Amino acid sequence: MIQFQNVSKIFALGNTALDDVSFTIEDNEFVFLVGPSGAGKTTILKLLLHEYYPTSGDITVNDLQISPKKIPHVELLRRKIGMVFQDFKTLSDRNVFDNIALSLKVIGMPTNQIKQMVMETLELVGLPEKEFLYPAQLSAGELQRVAIARAIIGDRKIILADEPTGNLDPKTTWEIMRILKKLEGKKTFLIATHNTDIVNSLKKRVLVMKNGKLVKDLKKGGYEI
Amino acid sequence: MRDILASIKRTPYQSIAAFLVLFFTILLSTALFMSLSFLFGFLSQVETRPQVVIFFQSKTSENDIFKLKDELMSTGKLSSIKYISKKDAFNIYKQSNKNTPLLMEMTPQDLLPASLELNAKQPSYLPEIADHIKNKAGVDEVQFNKDIFEKLLSLTSAIRKISFVLFGYLIFMSIMVFATIILFKIALKKEEIEVLRLLGASNFYVRKPFLKEGIFFGFATAVLSFLVIIATLLYFSSAITHYLKGTSRLTFTIASYMFQIWPISPDFMLLTLALACAFGMIIAFIASFIATSKYLGR
Repeated sequence: MIQFQNVSKIFALGNTALDDVSFTIEDNEFVFLVGPSGAGKTTILKLLLHEYYPTSGDITVNDLQISPKKIPHVELLRRKIGMVFQDFKTLSDRNVFDNIALSLKVIGMPTNQIKQMVMETLELVGLPEKEFLYPAQLSAGELQRVAIARAIIGDRKIILADEPTGNLDPKTTWEIMRILKKLEGKKTFLIATHNTDIVNSLKKRVLVMKNGKLVKDLKKGGYEI
Repeated sequence: MRDILASIKRTPYQSIAAFLVLFFTILLSTALFMSLSFLFGFLSQVETRPQVVIFFQSKTSENDIFKLKDELMSTGKLSSIKYISKKDAFNIYKQSNKNTPLLMEMTPQDLLPASLELNAKQPSYLPEIADHIKNKAGVDEVQFNKDIFEKLLSLTSAIRKISFVLFGYLIFMSIMVFATIILFKIALKKEEIEVLRLLGASNFYVRKPFLKEGIFFGFATAVLSFLVIIATLLYFSSAITHYLKGTSRLTFTIASYMFQIWPISPDFMLLTLALACAFGMIIAFIASFIATSKYLGR
C-alpha cells in the first residue's frame, strides 16, 4: 500500500512542487496520475523512489516510512519498485538480456535463475529471441518493452511509470499498455501520463494534479484537468 | 575478469591514463625499495666488520686481556667481541702476504700485537666504548673510525627520511590522480549508475566494478614494474658485479628472516613482487574507494 499524508515538497529555490497532497493506493491497484507539465506528477514518483524527500507530511510504502531525509537501506525500498521512464534508460553497451538481468543481478540472484526469469519476461513483453540485440538495434517500442521487462521482473510489487508512452506512436502505445494490463491485479501500478486516449479508454482510477495539488481522485475516471 | 575487461573497453582512455599513473608510481616505488635494500645491505655488511679494534702492548698478559673482555661484555652494549692472539694475528698476516715469502722471513712471529675486535649492538654506543677503553692499562691503541660511522649513520638517516617523504608524495599523488580518473569514469557511467541505484543496487554493488578494476590495475602495474626492474638489473648485472667487486653477497634482515639482495635471490624477488603488488593494489583500492564515496555520498 502506498500512502501520502499531507505531503508537501518545496525545493531549495522556493518553488512548490507538491502542496499538501494526500492519497492512498491499495495493493495491486492500477492508477493513472494525470496533470499538465509541472503539476507534480514526476515529483510524486521521485518521492516514492526516495530520490527526493518531502518537506512535510508522511509517505508510507508497504508500512515503511520513507519521509525522512535519510532512511536506512534505501536500496531495499527500491528493490520493491520497478520504474519505467519516458526515455527508457536502457544501457546502450549491454544487450537486451543484460539490461533486463541487471534488475535481478543487483539483488544478488543466482545466474541460473536469472536466465530463466529473463527469458520468461521477454516472452511476456513480446520480445522473444531478441535477447542478444543491443538497444541501438531496437525500435522505440521495443526499447520501452525492454524497460518494462526490467521494471516488472522479479519481486517488484510496485510499478511506477513516468510518461511510458510519451515517445511512442499510437499503435505502439497501445501495445505497451496491453503489456501493462496483463499484469493488472498482480502488481500496483502508478502511471504518470498525458495520454488522454489511454486514460479515457481504460477507465481506471485517476489522480488529477494541478499546480502541485491533488485536485481530483476519480475512481473510474477519464482524463480531465 | 570479463567485467573488468568490459569496463576497460567502455572507457579506454581513462583506463590507459589510470594504468600509466599507477605504473609510474609503482615503478618508482619498487626502484626505491630496491635501492634502499641495497643500501641497507651495504650498511649491514659494514656493521658485520669490527667496529672498534683494541691493540694491546706486548707486555699485556692474556689474563688482563680476558679480564677486559669480560668487563666489556658485561656492559651489555656489545653484540660480539673477538680475541685475536699474537699468533692468530701473525697467521692472518701470513695468509694475506703469502705471495711475498721474503717479507714473511723478515717478520718475527711476535711482532704483531694481540687485539680485541668489538661490535656494538647499536652504532651510537661506539664513541662511548672507545673512550672507555682508551685509558685502560695495557692498551696500546684503539682504532675506531668515528667519522666514517657517524657519516654513515647520518647518511642512512637522511636517506630514510627522504625516502619516507618521497614515498608519501608518490602515494598522495597517485591516489589523487587515480581518484580523479575514476571520477571521470564515474561521470561517463553516470546514467548506468543512476539506473543501478534506482533498481536498488547497494552502494557496494555500484562500487564493486571500480574497486575490482582498481585492484586489477594495481596488480598488473606491480607485475609489470617488477618485470621492468628485474630486466634492468639483469641487463646491468655485469656492471653491478664489477662495481661490487670484493662484496660476495649483500643481505638484510626483516623480522629475523635474512634476505639475500645480491646476487639477487628468489626470496628477495618474491618479497619485492609481493610488496609491489600489495602497494599497487592498496593505492588503487583507496583511490577507487575515495572516488566512489565522493560520488555516492552526494
